Amino acid sequence: MALELNRRYLKYFFEPVAESFEEGFWEAVKQKKLVFQRCKECGEFLHPPRPMCHRCHSYDLEWVKSSGKGSIYSWVVFTREVNPLYRVPFEVVLVEMEEKGVRFISNMAEGNPEDLYFGMPVEVVFVDINDEWPLPMFKPVK
Amino acid sequence: MTIKNKACIVGIGSTEFSRASGRSEIHMAVDAAMAACRDAGLKPEEIDGAVKFGTAGQTSTEFTTETDVARCLGIPNLRYFAEAPWGGGACCATILHAALAVSAGMANYVLCFRSLKPASGTVRYGRPANIPIDSHWSYTMPFGFASPTSWVAMFTRRWMYETGATNEQLGWVAIVCRENAAVNPRAIFYGRPITMEDYFNSPMLCDPFRMHDTCLENDGAVALIVTTPERAKDLRQKPAYITSAAMATGWDSYCMTSYYREKIGIPEMEEVGKELWRQSGLTPKDIDVAQFYAAFTSLVPMQMEALGFVGVGEGGPFCQGGDRIRPTGELPINTSGGMLSESYIHGMNMIAEGMRQIRGTSTTQIKDVENVLVTGGLGVPTSALILSQGR
Repeated sequence: MALELNRRYLKYFFEPVAESFEEGFWEAVKQKKLVFQRCKECGEFLHPPRPMCHRCHSYDLEWVKSSGKGSIYSWVVFTREVNPLYRVPFEVVLVEMEEKGVRFISNMAEGNPEDLYFGMPVEVVFVDINDEWPLPMFKPVK
Repeated sequence: MTIKNKACIVGIGSTEFSRASGRSEIHMAVDAAMAACRDAGLKPEEIDGAVKFGTAGQTSTEFTTETDVARCLGIPNLRYFAEAPWGGGACCATILHAALAVSAGMANYVLCFRSLKPASGTVRYGRPANIPIDSHWSYTMPFGFASPTSWVAMFTRRWMYETGATNEQLGWVAIVCRENAAVNPRAIFYGRPITMEDYFNSPMLCDPFRMHDTCLENDGAVALIVTTPERAKDLRQKPAYITSAAMATGWDSYCMTSYYREKIGIPEMEEVGKELWRQSGLTPKDIDVAQFYAAFTSLVPMQMEALGFVGVGEGGPFCQGGDRIRPTGELPINTSGGMLSESYIHGMNMIAEGMRQIRGTSTTQIKDVENVLVTGGLGVPTSALILSQGR
């Protein structure tokens, strides 16, 4: 099943917008790379990104390439249409990434809703939405 | 120092609740405000403070400002005005602001109001067009994750996994709220109780939520008036004393999408609870009836756990069978039907119901009510109140 777009309704795609301190994340996504922000001072991962480390208040932050691997922390299955771009049913998953403290909202690009389970291992795969935007989605680790 | 017994609510005003009000938000706000003045025995021109709702981060359906209401009512001057943000999270916070204002002498009579027209107006909740360009939505909306039902479903599924709660237990919340609404002529679900079969047969909207897990979408307005206990003595109605009032964001809070903190449930309500019990000196055992903000069924047992009525993992079983949350149970809940069954006025109708329980005028009146808990919306920064009989 997984996510299937009804491309007639691409105009309903919510294009990501970024504050200055988030640009690194979305620029990487455009290049089909998943990166997370990390504090160089205390090592805290910060997702969504921030202007400053909320633990140690350092401004010395860096973008670190993600392993792309994680596990299912929770999920929902849309069974009634909210946005016609997204054909129902489809899953939205909350993935707990290998990077400590990072969770990420996304879709399943492969698999079936009924096969999802808590702690299920998944890995990132980029899916093209339109000419400009690929999005990081997930598939079961085989 | 606390707010205890320094302010009270003295007037309730409400419009009818309907699927199509046939008039604008401002009109309904004015109708509710006038009704609250009549109920309290106040002339509208005596109102000198007002607190409105905001949604902070979502495009507003809050077209009605405090000045709109003041102008229409002929209020000569508002010397105190404020806004409580975060949609449903704001409901008890409006009363908190008003209580601060009257107890500090910033105003004599403060009007708190909410007017909503999601059923027949131009702006409806949960539609993609309703979300403005605000960068934190970039981490959810591009993935089609675009409705309040889905946002609450996400942390509800995790909570169900961690506590073992079941859909049947959530079904009992829906059934009991419908039972209470069935005898409340104001309620959208007046005269329409449901069975467990109805619950399970209702369409799945966003798994794990079915239609009967989700709140109403209707038009209406509710207004409440807050003053000091001294001034309340000269008014028409028995006042409901504010024993405690609290707001909280909790750690790492986002609007509806706080998925990045250690607990993705409702930790803000745990913070609210600590403050409610500290200010009041009361414990959950002292609450005779609770009006839990329930835009979704799971929020009732989750709040029972967060506020310490039951232990973690006991909220779901507490709702099983419905008897413990019915009017004759240990903790009667949502006696008007609440937001699942009476009306969705972002919780203001539940404060009104809390007041009716203090006055003894509810359609599902609980005996010998001393203290009533009312809570605000979840998944956002939130608020809560304890209302009590005067001494």
